[in-house]
Amino acid sequence: MDEKTINDSGKFGDILTINMGPQHPSTHGVLRLILDIDGETIVNATPDIGYLHRGVEKLAENRMYHQFIPLTDRLDYLASLSNNLAYCLAVEKFFDLKIPERANYLRVIFAELARISSHLLWLASHALDMGAMTVFLYCFRERELLLDLFEIATGQRMTSSWIRVGGIRADIPDEFINKAYEFIEIFSEKIKDYEGLLSKNRIWLQRTKGIGILTKEDALNYGASGPIMRGSGIKFDIRKFEPYCIYDKMDFEIPSFEDGDVYSRYLVRIEEMKQSNRIVKQALDELPEGPVMTDDPRVGIPSHEEVNERMESLIRRFYLMSKGFTPPRGDVYSSIESTKGELGFYIVSDGTEKPYRLKIRAPSFVNLGIVPLISKGHMIADMVSIIGSIDIVLGEIDR
Amino acid sequence: MNFDEIFAKLQGDVSSDISKQVQFGCNFILSNKDNFKNIIKYLKEVFDFEYLVDVVGIHWPEHKNTPFEVVYNLYSIKNKIRVFVKVFIPDEKIETISDLYKAALFLEREQYDLVGVKFIGHPDLRRILMPEFFDKHPLRKDFNLKDRSWYNDVDEQNLGIKYKHL
Repeated sequence: MDEKTINDSGKFGDILTINMGPQHPSTHGVLRLILDIDGETIVNATPDIGYLHRGVEKLAENRMYHQFIPLTDRLDYLASLSNNLAYCLAVEKFFDLKIPERANYLRVIFAELARISSHLLWLASHALDMGAMTVFLYCFRERELLLDLFEIATGQRMTSSWIRVGGIRADIPDEFINKAYEFIEIFSEKIKDYEGLLSKNRIWLQRTKGIGILTKEDALNYGASGPIMRGSGIKFDIRKFEPYCIYDKMDFEIPSFEDGDVYSRYLVRIEEMKQSNRIVKQALDELPEGPVMTDDPRVGIPSHEEVNERMESLIRRFYLMSKGFTPPRGDVYSSIESTKGELGFYIVSDGTEKPYRLKIRAPSFVNLGIVPLISKGHMIADMVSIIGSIDIVLGEIDR
Repeated sequence: MNFDEIFAKLQGDVSSDISKQVQFGCNFILSNKDNFKNIIKYLKEVFDFEYLVDVVGIHWPEHKNTPFEVVYNLYSIKNKIRVFVKVFIPDEKIETISDLYKAALFLEREQYDLVGVKFIGHPDLRRILMPEFFDKHPLRKDFNLKDRSWYNDVDEQNLGIKYKHL
């Protein structure tokens, strides 16, 4: 745009079009924003995505159901355990499976730990974008403890592929429980530090209050979910509205704030971390004993011990691993409250061992749609704050 | 408010040419191309289905009369119920619902890009994940996974450059 246009403030100005990204450090990945600016004011912002497109949905159509689990790790790579869970819950819906209680508790524990870890990384990078280096270092210090926990239990720090259809890969080792309790203790103290550093910090307030306001109606209309929706005053959380695993037994609250600006999204995420910590503690307290993989012969993978002892288990395991399992024909949708919002998998099965069509409802992708709306009229520097507050992960957007 | 009540009311008020299907705990309303938008509009206005969760396009080359299917995933926060509106379309054209839900702006663009369903009336129907010069729709069944083409000699920005074939 090089012609003179009247912008929202009613002034005549030369509109300049610039690129923000894809290599800009505060776009958190390879997001490219085409900004039309009048001086320092944003007139229009158009997101351009697809730099990380790997065709995960196409790959899914050419893989067996089990083989797709590692690819789900690489969607939202900051909370891979949540993605595993969402996918496995969708496939399990085909079979109407009864998942062992212990597996359900462990799934919840890890989904919530993943939420804390993802929110910590968000807080770290968001604060760093705003110039608060200390928070960045503090958050990474605690996130390291979490990644160690993941490594103890799943063997991997980030891309864990630990949750399987019908249960989980293996039971947790004994030292995990104590370490997890230790983390809860440490974290409930440390989160006060982050709040102390930011919540009433004058610079933080100036950079976040009143920036990127999203009204309740717009949040619904644009389909924004997760902390963004709750930051705009809509009390919606799939953990409460369509409970999966054992969330109906857990005692927790849905935080929501009315303002709809960057600051209220920050408050929502801080509050969510506290609630997650509460859920993990409850689940650890009530963690039952028992198996962690269903014994349903259609999908349940026999454990290594069984395989070593029984011929039938060996055959079963070989069959499931080499030939896969075949769900009945039909369509299924299942969603979870992931760290970024509603993460859903829509799977169409044609009765073979591979999905006919798999659609990932990625929360970040839909949430990105509000950027042109909420960034209008703000300064370029506020754009950094707005992108940060949406908490996008490009692995999930581009798929 | 349960699914049966919603369906009965829809059948009475909007169209009798719809059917329902409950599959693996998901509620589907099967509709045709002509009145699906009225159904979605009615659902939004009467039953508070204000949250459009997802739009899914599916290619069925073996269905000779209706090779494309579009599924709209709607949620009502007030009534705590999720409903899927399934539309089978004879050609790849379907009316947009981006005037009802702004969320469809992105979701429909994605399905246009990957599946090739054209949403008539969408204000900005461009490719979103694939590059602009890409000429196929990867999630169609006739797009072979291993059949890849290279785009080294494409004039991406229309600068009039003629590349020599490598």
